[in-house]
Amino acid sequence: MNNLYRNSRLTTGLLIALSILALPTFVVAEGRTVRDQLGRVVSIPLTPQRIIALAPSITEIIFALDQAHRLKGVTQYSDYPEAASILPKVGSYVHLDVEKIVALQPDLCIAVKDGNPLTVIHRLESLDIPVYAVDPRNLAAVMDTVTEIGAVLGSQDRAEEIVADMRRRIETVRTTVAKARRIPGVFFQIGIAPIVAVGTHTFIHELIVMAGGRNLTEGPLPYPRLSKEQVIGLAPDVFIITSMERGGVFDKVKAEWKRWPDMPAVKNDRIVLADSNLLDRASPRLVNGLELLARLIHPELFEAESKRGTP
Amino acid sequence: MKTAIEINALHFSYRNTPILRDLSFSVLAGEFFIVIGPNGSGKTTLMKVIAGIAGRTSGSVKIQGRKMGSYGRKAFARKIAYVPQMTTLDFPFTVMELVLMGRSPYLGIFGVEGREDRETATRALAFAGIEHLSHRRFNRLSGGECQRVFIARAICQNPEIMLLDEPTASLDMAHQVRIMDVMERLKKEKGITVMMVSHDLNLAAMYGDRLLLLKGGVVARMGEPQAVLTADVLKAAYGCDLLLDRNPMGPYPRVTPIPGRHRV
Amino acid sequence: MNSKTPVVIKRILIINSLLALLLLGTMFLGLSMGSTGGSMGDVWRSLKGEEGGGAMLNDIIWKIRFPRVILAALVGAALSVGGLVFQALLRNPLAEPYILGISGGAAIGAISGILMGLAPFPGVSLSAFCGSTATLVLILILSSGQAVMVKDALLLSGVMVNAFCTAVIMFLISMTQDSRLHTIMFWLMGDLSSVDLHQAGILALMLAPCFLVIFRLSNTMNLLLLGSDLAQTMGINVKVVILTLLVVTSFMVSATVSHCGLIGFVGLVIPHLLRLIFGPDHRILLPACILGGGAYMVICDLLARVLPAQGEMSAGVITAMIGAPLFIILLKRSGR
Repeated sequence: MNNLYRNSRLTTGLLIALSILALPTFVVAEGRTVRDQLGRVVSIPLTPQRIIALAPSITEIIFALDQAHRLKGVTQYSDYPEAASILPKVGSYVHLDVEKIVALQPDLCIAVKDGNPLTVIHRLESLDIPVYAVDPRNLAAVMDTVTEIGAVLGSQDRAEEIVADMRRRIETVRTTVAKARRIPGVFFQIGIAPIVAVGTHTFIHELIVMAGGRNLTEGPLPYPRLSKEQVIGLAPDVFIITSMERGGVFDKVKAEWKRWPDMPAVKNDRIVLADSNLLDRASPRLVNGLELLARLIHPELFEAESKRGTP
Repeated sequence: MKTAIEINALHFSYRNTPILRDLSFSVLAGEFFIVIGPNGSGKTTLMKVIAGIAGRTSGSVKIQGRKMGSYGRKAFARKIAYVPQMTTLDFPFTVMELVLMGRSPYLGIFGVEGREDRETATRALAFAGIEHLSHRRFNRLSGGECQRVFIARAICQNPEIMLLDEPTASLDMAHQVRIMDVMERLKKEKGITVMMVSHDLNLAAMYGDRLLLLKGGVVARMGEPQAVLTADVLKAAYGCDLLLDRNPMGPYPRVTPIPGRHRV
Repeated sequence: MNSKTPVVIKRILIINSLLALLLLGTMFLGLSMGSTGGSMGDVWRSLKGEEGGGAMLNDIIWKIRFPRVILAALVGAALSVGGLVFQALLRNPLAEPYILGISGGAAIGAISGILMGLAPFPGVSLSAFCGSTATLVLILILSSGQAVMVKDALLLSGVMVNAFCTAVIMFLISMTQDSRLHTIMFWLMGDLSSVDLHQAGILALMLAPCFLVIFRLSNTMNLLLLGSDLAQTMGINVKVVILTLLVVTSFMVSATVSHCGLIGFVGLVIPHLLRLIFGPDHRILLPACILGGGAYMVICDLLARVLPAQGEMSAGVITAMIGAPLFIILLKRSGR
C-alpha cells in the first residue's frame, strides 16, 4: 500500500518535472517573439493555428484576411460576416469567459486595449496563452492593425491588398467631398434616452470630418450626454441616428425631433438612420461607413451614383 | 454587622437634570433591602449606579468596604448580579443557555463553560423552581416564567449581592409571591444580600428587613417597614390618601389606597 | 472526545464537521461544473493527482475554477459572519451589511479608489474601508440612542443610507467617461470571476484574523443580546467590545466588497437559517457561518455560472433573488 502510494507520487513528480522541462523548449522551438501595439514583447507561435478573437472587430479583420479557418472562438455580437456567428462564443468582449477560452486550447488570443479588461489579459498570460494586443484608435491605426495581424498570421499579401483598397476608397471620398461648397453641421446621436452623442476621440468623429461634415459635439468627452435643449441649440444641418436600438425606435425618435420644425435638419428633411456596426468597429468596413456618411452628409455630390448599392 | 453596600453623598445627573441628590445610606450584609417610592424618584437609576452601569457619578459607592472602581470587571461581576426590568429577546435561546450565561465572569478567554458550570446552572434553575423549563425556548415563555429565568441567571452568577429592579411588576399574584419567596430563601439559605425595587408596598412590608423610601432623588425615610410605612410619610411621598392597618398575616403594616380622593 | 469535554465544544465540533463536509461537497461540485461542462470523475482523478481529462482540463479545474471556488467560499463566509455580528450588535435579526448600506459605502470607497487609479491592494481595499466606516458612523448616528432597539428606525435609516449610497455610486459613474466603466458596473453587481489564487490568498489573510477576533468575542456576543446593561454586569467592557466588533466587521465587509463588489442578503439568509437549525449560540454559529456561508456562496456562484445559456450572470443576482423574498417574510413575521 505504502509502496504503491510512493510509486504513484514518484510518477507524478516525474511527469511534472518532464512537462516543466518540455514546455519552454517547445515554445522556443516553434515560436517567435513580436512586439504588439502596446509595446509588449509577446512570444507567439510561428504560424498560429487556433486563434481566438476577443472583439468583433478582430473577428472581422481575420475574416477579411481569409484566415477564418484558424479562428476557433469569437465574442458575443460577432455577427459579421454571418459565418462568424456560428463560431464558439467566449463571452462578451468586456466580460470574457476565461474557462471557455482555455477549453478551446488557443495558441493565440488577439485582444483590443480599449475594451478587454486588463485583468483577464493577465489571467490568460498566466495560463501560458499568448495574447497579442492591438489598439486601433483611428482609421490609420486600423490599417496598421490589419497589416500587423496579417503579419502575425502570415498573410501579409492579403493584408496589403485590403489596406490598398481602403486607401483608394478613402481617397475617392476625400476628393469628392472636397468639391462641397459648405461644411454641414452634423449631430450624431448614438443613445436615445439619455441622448448621447460622440466626442472628438471616436471613430465616428473622424469619419464625420473625413466625410466633409463638422461634428457639432466635439470635445474631450468621448460620449457626451446632452439635453434636448442643447441639441436644438446646436441647430444641426444633418441629424444621424444609429441603429443600435431595434425596431421602430428610429421612426419614433425621428418623429420626436420633427416637433422642432425650425431645426435645419428638420426643414431640409435630413434626419437619417445609419448602421452603427459600420461606424464604431475598428475593421476594414469602417471605409464602408465613411462612404455611407459622405453620402448622408453630401447627397448632392453622390447623386450620380445614388442608384448604385447603398449599404 | 458588615455592610454590603455603602453609599456616601451620591450625586447623579442625566443631561443636567439631577436624578439622585446627596444620597447616603448603607445596606447590611445578608439583608433583604427594598427600595420604594413614586415613579420618577430615581429608583432604577440608583440600582444602575450600584450595578456599575449608570456612567459618571460623584460621591462614593463602596461594595463590601471597597470602592466600586477598585474591582476588576470580572471580580465585580462575581460580587453583584443584576436583574433588570423586563428584558425582551428576539433570539431563540433555550432557558438553559440563558442561565448558563450567568457563568461568564468565571470562564476563560473563549467563554466555554465546563461540566461544573452546567451543574451550577442546573442548581440555579432548581432554586428558582424552573427545572422543567430548562429546554424550552426563552421567547416562548410567559412573562412570569421569563422573569424567573433571569433570576435563575443571576443566581447562577453566584453573587454575594443581588440587585433586582421591579422583578414582580406586571406579574400575577402567584408569580409575585413565588419570586419573593425565592429571594427570601436566597437570603436565608445562601446569606445573599438582596436589594430590590418594588412598587408593591404590602409585599415590601412582608418581605423587607428594611425599606428605603426614595422621593425626588433623596431619602425620604429609611428603616424597618413599621417606621417607613406610616400614613403621614406615604401621603407626603405619593400625594394620595391611603389607609394603614395591620396585615392579618402578621406584624406588618398594610397599605390600602382610598379610591376617589386623589385630586387630579 | 471524553465525557469531560464541555458540551459546547462537542456541539461545535459535531455541527461544524458536518458543515465542513457540506462545504467540501459544494467545492467539489464547484470544481466539477463550468461553462465547458466537465465531469465529477475527472475532478476526482485530478484531485488524486492523476491526469484524468488531460492537461487542459487540469488547467481549467485548478487555475480557473479553483481560485473562484476559494474566493466564493471566503466571500460567503465573510458576508455571513458580517450579518451575524451586526444582528448581535443591533439585537435585530434583520440587520445585514448590505441592507444597512455598509456594503454600499464600501462600494463608494472602492469605486473612488479605482477612479483615482489606486492599486487594488492595499489602495482600493483601504478606500473601501473608509467608505464602509463612514456609512457605519452615519447609520449609528441616524439610529442612535433608544432607536437602535426599534427595528423600524434601524431599517429605515439603513434604507436611506443605501439609497444615498446608490445615488452616489450612480453619480460617480455618470461623472466619468472611463473605459473601465463596464467592468465597474459588472463588478458592482457582484463579480467573482476576475480573481486569481494570489488575490484570493490576500483576502484569506485579511479575513482569518477577523474571524479569530470575532470567535474570541462570540460568547460576549451572546451576552450582548441580553442588552448592553446586563452584559456589562457580567463583566464585559461593552464599549470596547462593540467598537472592536464594528471595526473588525466593517474591515471584513470592505475587504470582501473591494474583491467582488456588492453581494447582498448572504448575511441575512445564512445566519437566519443556521440559527433556526442550531440555535442562537454564537460560539456555534460563528464557525457554522464561516463554513455554511462559504458553501452557500459556492452554490450561488455555481448557479450564476451554469444557469445562463450564454456567458454568465452576477452571483449577486442569485443571492438577491433568494435573499430579498426571505427578508420580506422575516419582516412580516417579526411584525407580529
